[in-house]
Amino acid sequence: MREERSDMSEDEDGGGGSAKSRGGGGAPPPFSDQVLENVLENVLQFLSSRGDRNAASLVCRSWYRAEAQTRRELFIGNCYAVSPRRATERFRRVRAVVLKGKPRFADFGLIPNNWGAHFHPWVCAMAAAYPWLEKICLKRMSVADGDLSLLAYSFPNFKELSLICCEGFSTAGLAVIAEKCRHLRVLDLIEDYLEDDEDEMSDWMSRFPETTTSLESLVFDCVGSAVNFEALEALVTRSPALRRLRVNHHVSVEQLRRLMALAPQLTHLGTGSFGSAAAAIPQGGNNVVDLVNTFAASKSLVCLSGFRDVAPQYLPAIYPVCANLTSLNFSFADISAEELNPVIRHCHNLQNFWVLDTVRDEGLQAVAATCKDLRELRVFPVDPTEDSEVSVSDVGLVAISEGCRKLRSILYFCQQMTNAAVVTMSKNCQDLVVFRLCIMGRHRPDHVTEEPMDEGFGAIVMNCKKLRRLSVSGLLTDKAFAYIGKYGKLVRTLSVAFAGNSDLALRYVLEGCTKLQKLEIRDSPFGDSALLAGLHHYYNMRFLWMSSCKLSVRGCNEVAQRLPHLVVEVIRDRDEDDDGEFVEKLYMYRSLAGPRTDAPPFVKIL
Amino acid sequence: MGRGKESSPSSSIDSSSHPALSTASSLSQPRRDLSTDLRLGLSLSTSSPQDSSSSARGQLSDWPPIKPLLRSTLTEKGRQIQRQSATFFVKVYMEGIPIGRKLDLLALDGYDGLITTLRRMFRTSIMCPDIARVPTNNKDHVLTYEDKEGDWMMVGDVPWEYDSCQLYSSLHPSICHCLLFFLLSPKSLTFGLSRMFLTTVKRMKIARADKC
Repeated sequence: MREERSDMSEDEDGGGGSAKSRGGGGAPPPFSDQVLENVLENVLQFLSSRGDRNAASLVCRSWYRAEAQTRRELFIGNCYAVSPRRATERFRRVRAVVLKGKPRFADFGLIPNNWGAHFHPWVCAMAAAYPWLEKICLKRMSVADGDLSLLAYSFPNFKELSLICCEGFSTAGLAVIAEKCRHLRVLDLIEDYLEDDEDEMSDWMSRFPETTTSLESLVFDCVGSAVNFEALEALVTRSPALRRLRVNHHVSVEQLRRLMALAPQLTHLGTGSFGSAAAAIPQGGNNVVDLVNTFAASKSLVCLSGFRDVAPQYLPAIYPVCANLTSLNFSFADISAEELNPVIRHCHNLQNFWVLDTVRDEGLQAVAATCKDLRELRVFPVDPTEDSEVSVSDVGLVAISEGCRKLRSILYFCQQMTNAAVVTMSKNCQDLVVFRLCIMGRHRPDHVTEEPMDEGFGAIVMNCKKLRRLSVSGLLTDKAFAYIGKYGKLVRTLSVAFAGNSDLALRYVLEGCTKLQKLEIRDSPFGDSALLAGLHHYYNMRFLWMSSCKLSVRGCNEVAQRLPHLVVEVIRDRDEDDDGEFVEKLYMYRSLAGPRTDAPPFVKIL
Repeated sequence: MGRGKESSPSSSIDSSSHPALSTASSLSQPRRDLSTDLRLGLSLSTSSPQDSSSSARGQLSDWPPIKPLLRSTLTEKGRQIQRQSATFFVKVYMEGIPIGRKLDLLALDGYDGLITTLRRMFRTSIMCPDIARVPTNNKDHVLTYEDKEGDWMMVGDVPWEYDSCQLYSSLHPSICHCLLFFLLSPKSLTFGLSRMFLTTVKRMKIARADKC
């Protein structure tokens, strides 16, 4: 599914502005140095990792210039950390830009609309500086149709557009992209929120060039409005390079079959609804047989997703491809363990599996029995509330840990958990890099011993030596954080909610986790003195988010004064009054650009 | 210190602009959840009793941390699953006929459906109360029900079920075309907001109008 995007969350520090980097070049060097620089450029162009590039740029001025000339992909982890002008002045030959905006908690509605992260100033700067730009990837940015239009007109060689968790644009913007970007290879819309007025939707699917296209990837499963199916069919027909196609839930299984028949070379398929259209004339078993044959003909499929309204009788149609699947996303399919079993039994090569907890512990046991190569598992709750029925639990977690020893990443929503199960997972899955456990009941202890979940999470940080990302939940005392501070030396991202007893907990983390980059905390009793304990580290971090904690304006002010290159934003909910001493939401990040000028009225920058 | 908020305006990001959700506003979301709880409460299906302490805390729209598109899609699915499995059968007798029928109230969509179904089942016209008119035909029947307190009441006075937008308005369109018969008994006037038909009905009887 999004394997190429998984780097986003474990990304490294750097990009357009590390706080230690110097300014621009100065006077041009003498001739012999120029030759040396040319040689250096030829060498440095092979350097792809941005961590390595950042290090190389610090060696001396010459290396700095050479590196700046050869950097092809620009990664900006926080769009407010550096100004577009500064970035485009330093790196002049960029072909690809990755830009990230809002903090992750924006996904859950914790950040009011119009907070910022506007693409506009960036696209304007890039339009002027990078006419040869080929690739843009945006995550959690606010993108307007006008921005997409400017993009389409400014970059004649544009090839790849990926918008992840973005908002602000509509099908009108997509229409301009489709029409003007004649060399488009990738159009990936992943979990975006399109602003579409029902009366004014644009038939963007019809706007692609009439000639053979170079499209390799078309992902639009998040688009809420139906697309023109005839146009889509025609597009697929004239896109021989198409490998990834993910349609939205308006595409019925009958329509999907037709698309698949036109594109048997697909490797990644998003199946849309996978249920019958209401108007489809049922043809008895023929429908399923046709579907099975179509899947059997798709010999290259390795990734399946969609299944938004899956009709159980169609599920067996995917059996022919199961053995080749490395990635399967059932997170919208409410199927039982009985319905999952015949599918998963064939998926010996599965590495990524996303599923709903309707499959229960039994379903997870079936996964554990077959998917020995599993690297990533995500279990989502069909009923995301604190009081829903127990469907997956410690039993499922233990089964997975015993069956899937190569597990690297897990996201597990559950109603109840035990320390013992988490400890077991920490011992069985030594390769864990990402451990995110969400016990949905706030402050819920181990359901067997009634103790806090401290020992479980402690075991994770102690035993999983490669751990870089951790999300904690359940009843947690300061002790859990002592463990995290002591053993979580590689942890870069930490998410905390409804946890801890006192400031000590946050102190442990800020003092102990030397590699911490992103810290997001909500509804935990941490106050000013804990905040001030991290002053030595905040310049090394991408950001700190704290909401519904015990911070005051005084404490945040002090941080702002002591660290002038830190932007300290106090965000309040729109309908609250100003001038309270209490800080509801704090978002702070290092920046070379200083306080931003586009802050809305409900954001106060200290 | 967690402040358990219901869906606040600041979480409008998950209501106004996502594709899969129909025009539900963030304001009606918590109430929709309540009606689901009500249905669950009166469905005779066996959902195990939940941790009572957590149910007192109220639902947060931003916890657990699920992205809004997934949350809305799954909530809709969850509701569909509940609707399919929840039933509530009540006995219905016609006066003078010893053998009664059984009717699944959850399969109906309000008083409209109830009257239509009963008319079909018993092949008689059934009147319902309306304020300003008088019965003209003594051979008609009226629909009554026994409530949880054991009293026999006229069907149609109280809301069918809890609905935040239409506490009472759903009754009048379905009644205005019926013949009027309004029994002015003290008990029929003492309905409270918490008394919805679905939560209070035990069984029903179609009684002769001239006997009421």
